[in-house]
Amino acid sequence: MDMTVIEAGDEITHIVLDGRFDIAGAQEVDARFGALAQSPKGLVVDLTKVSFLASLGMRTLMLTAKTLIRSGGEMAVCGADENVEKVLRSTGFDEIVDLYPDFASAAAALKVKLAPFARRDK
Amino acid sequence: MSVQPQSVSRDFPGAVEAASDAEAWIVSQSGALGLGADAEFAISLCVEELFLNAVSHGRANRASISIATEPDGVRVEFVDDGAPFDPTAAPAKRIDGRTDDFAIGGYGAGLIRKFSRRMFYRRDDGRNRLVLEFDAAGPQSRRPV
Repeated sequence: MDMTVIEAGDEITHIVLDGRFDIAGAQEVDARFGALAQSPKGLVVDLTKVSFLASLGMRTLMLTAKTLIRSGGEMAVCGADENVEKVLRSTGFDEIVDLYPDFASAAAALKVKLAPFARRDK
Repeated sequence: MSVQPQSVSRDFPGAVEAASDAEAWIVSQSGALGLGADAEFAISLCVEELFLNAVSHGRANRASISIATEPDGVRVEFVDDGAPFDPTAAPAKRIDGRTDDFAIGGYGAGLIRKFSRRMFYRRDDGRNRLVLEFDAAGPQSRRPV
């Protein structure tokens, strides 16, 4: 699975995944997600081009969300198709990470959530 | 157009690498069996859950997968020689509410229930035998690659 990391400004990182988030796909991106989760800011995981998501892919997303939330960051997911969204909602992942139709709406929501902390840090 | 019953099966060693091979095999067989994208997704998801569980928790040495198309759906049988595990009796766990104190795993049984139509389990001759039934969306539902 291909993974592209784009610094989108305003403390938002746009992660674009392309392919199957299956066992092999999760193994390919797991370490990079682990590194990104260490920096407390906003991550938007874009699943628009992800055609499959199952156990190990969910594990990668859950570990990233847990690490990020505990360090004061925020995460959002966008672009999930019907089946991928069904996986996210069936596990309750949507209880801890909000789902959006596209990157623009996800990034806008994260900026609002992160804004109070940005002002506090200045 | 009526669907002609077809079936394929394959044995795999009990290893995480083999679980990945099993996923690739299911994808390759889905086209030949005329399965729709939704059925391929659901079968791949359930088999990944079952295979990883059998290997990681059940210490299975072997697993076999059979896929059969039937007039009203798809029947998948997953057999492994690991420790007894009945997914039909396992709780369907789900994250409940916004919290950072949630488990990273253990959601498989709930996902299998959500993505399959029915499931039947029995322990037979030292093996777990799970039969899963799926709706068979036709090949017209396959998404462009």
